[in-house]
Amino acid sequence: MEIGPILRAMTRNKIGAILIALQIAFTMTVVVNAYFMIEERMRLMERPSGVVEDQLFHISTRGFTPDFNGKVSVQDDLALLRQTPGIVDAVAINAIPLSGGGWSMSLQVEPGDGEQGHGVAIYMVDDHGLDTLGVELIAGRDFTPADVRERGPATSDWPDKAIISEATVKALWADANPLEVVGRTAYINDDEPVTIIGVVEKLQAPWNGWTTVEQSMLVPDKLIWTGVRYMVRTEPGRRDEMMPIVEELLARSNNQRIVRAPESMAETRARSYALDSGLAKILGVIMAMLVSITSLGIVGLASFSVRRRTKQIGIRRALGAKKRDILRYFLVENFMITTLGVVLGAVMTVGFNVWLVQALNFPKIDWLYVPIGMLALWLIGIIAVLGPARRATAVPPAVATRTV
Amino acid sequence: MLSMKNVSRIYRTDVVQTHALRNLSLEVEAGEFVALVGPSGSGKTTFLNIAGLLETFDDGSYQLDGRDVAGLNDNDRSRLRNEKIGFIFQSFNLIPELNIADNIDVPLRYRGFAARERKRRVDRVLEVVGLGGRKKHLPSQLSGGQQQRVAIARALAGDPGFLLADEPTGNLDSSTAAGVMELINEIHRNGATIIMVTHDLELAARAERIVRLSDGQVVLLDEGGEGSELENGAAV
Ligand SMILES: Nc1ncnc2c1ncn2[C@@H]1O[C@H](COP(=O)(O)OP(=O)(O)OP(=O)(O)O)[C@@H](O)[C@H]1O
Ligand SMILES: [Mg+2]
Repeated sequence: MEIGPILRAMTRNKIGAILIALQIAFTMTVVVNAYFMIEERMRLMERPSGVVEDQLFHISTRGFTPDFNGKVSVQDDLALLRQTPGIVDAVAINAIPLSGGGWSMSLQVEPGDGEQGHGVAIYMVDDHGLDTLGVELIAGRDFTPADVRERGPATSDWPDKAIISEATVKALWADANPLEVVGRTAYINDDEPVTIIGVVEKLQAPWNGWTTVEQSMLVPDKLIWTGVRYMVRTEPGRRDEMMPIVEELLARSNNQRIVRAPESMAETRARSYALDSGLAKILGVIMAMLVSITSLGIVGLASFSVRRRTKQIGIRRALGAKKRDILRYFLVENFMITTLGVVLGAVMTVGFNVWLVQALNFPKIDWLYVPIGMLALWLIGIIAVLGPARRATAVPPAVATRTV
Repeated sequence: MLSMKNVSRIYRTDVVQTHALRNLSLEVEAGEFVALVGPSGSGKTTFLNIAGLLETFDDGSYQLDGRDVAGLNDNDRSRLRNEKIGFIFQSFNLIPELNIADNIDVPLRYRGFAARERKRRVDRVLEVVGLGGRKKHLPSQLSGGQQQRVAIARALAGDPGFLLADEPTGNLDSSTAAGVMELINEIHRNGATIIMVTHDLELAARAERIVRLSDGQVVLLDEGGEGSELENGAAV
């Protein structure tokens, strides 16, 4: 390897090389951090909500006549839905996971307004709640019809039973096992006792940006409001087919209300993470642009360097260089520039992330991203220089005698 | 050493065909010193390029050291150039971004010599051309004559045995040229075969034989030395 002379030759033409190395370093900094952010977003977006999303949709209705009877309407609607072929189960519910809107209350282990509370999202359902949502009960039991009370607009107290998510168990009782918390009492509204009768493995709160998004609680309150939302679970694969059918069915069954268009959980999820996926796309475009600009920069520098050294290449060929020696010369030269770039890039990448962590509270980058980023840019460098380097091998040896 | 029979070389461009060499035949014995003269465009550089395996030819046969070169591939030709042939060019052709030692080192690296051996050879040839103290200089920091000495040193470093020079003194003033010529003569005395293109009849006269090209053909073979026909002949 002719590293010594290549390096010495390069130090006599260093501006271009340094600029490209800086560009590579800058690209690596942005690309690695952007990639990390995209991955972070993806990781958030991939969190399951705990419900069987691909079988669920929700639809809301609101009575508009003065004598509209919420209680009867909910009763009729649920009976109708539950007997409709293609529908597994349905429930009236106060909030939808991922939707961004819902209720939260503070749960605490000891009664009293000075005690530490834990925010939990509240889902009000009847004894069909678990079955409809498809959440998995890992301890205790489901609600029975006897547990369920009615909740009208004026109700302000809380039922004495609840099913909580496993994350809520952890929040309330640290390392308690789900099985051993069944039967324990927690307090809502400072001092209303609630007995934990069951634990579900996972049920996310409606707010995906919430740090305690995994903390939720189901209470056996059947909603009898004039405006109500139903969660409907269809047989697998029939969700999209059932949505207009159900909309039609509800509209026809009672003309004293309006029925809003149904929304599938897939749509709810997409809306919920629209900002995240938009940001990921923008970052992806920026990454692609930077990488292509840098590749073009490498191609440009290498082409320029080949053209500037046409005579020299001819001389080298006259002196006995084989084509592969010429190819190697440019690959090695580029490799050295790229190496300088990625080493600098590694330092800048970590530095930039440290700044993001401190100034903007970003997550700390996984160190593995740095060597992977270096490797990727090395590869990009080699691929970019291949074309110009091959053109260099085509310079004929006679150039040594033919040009001035 | 060199044996060409009916070698032709045609340059084709979109508009014209140039017969740079037409059925050229020439024998050069090992250890000979041949001067190649002829008017501009007569094919001297073309001949040198073909002789030095820098270019291929279209017709005829060429044997170098008893070996037919027509069938050699690019790699073989590169290796032969590297091991058997030394080139000296009119415009020196040093690599501007490499210092003197690195310039001389170039063919030695392609030869695959170990670092010690390369250093030994670089030092030796720099001593021969009298530039031992200039190893770290860049070509641009040397005079023309010195640059040509470095180029000669580079040509000699691989012990080629066959030296091709295209107007080696063409860019030098006459006293500097004399020094370079002296060096070439000495290389010849040490046994190398030399073919040198020159416009300078005085220099040509120092060769053992003068070959005159015209229009891509050998028109006159002449023994070198004082009082030769060429000496008084028409301008070249
Ligand atoms: N690459 C080329 N393409 C086309 N024609 C060429 C090429 N190289 C040389 N020629 C032509 O071939 C002929 C011989 O050229 P060559 O360079 O061998 O002449 P020369 O004897 O070395 O001349 P000079 O004394 O000026 O150096 C000239 O007519 C020249 O124009
Ligand atoms: Mg010429």
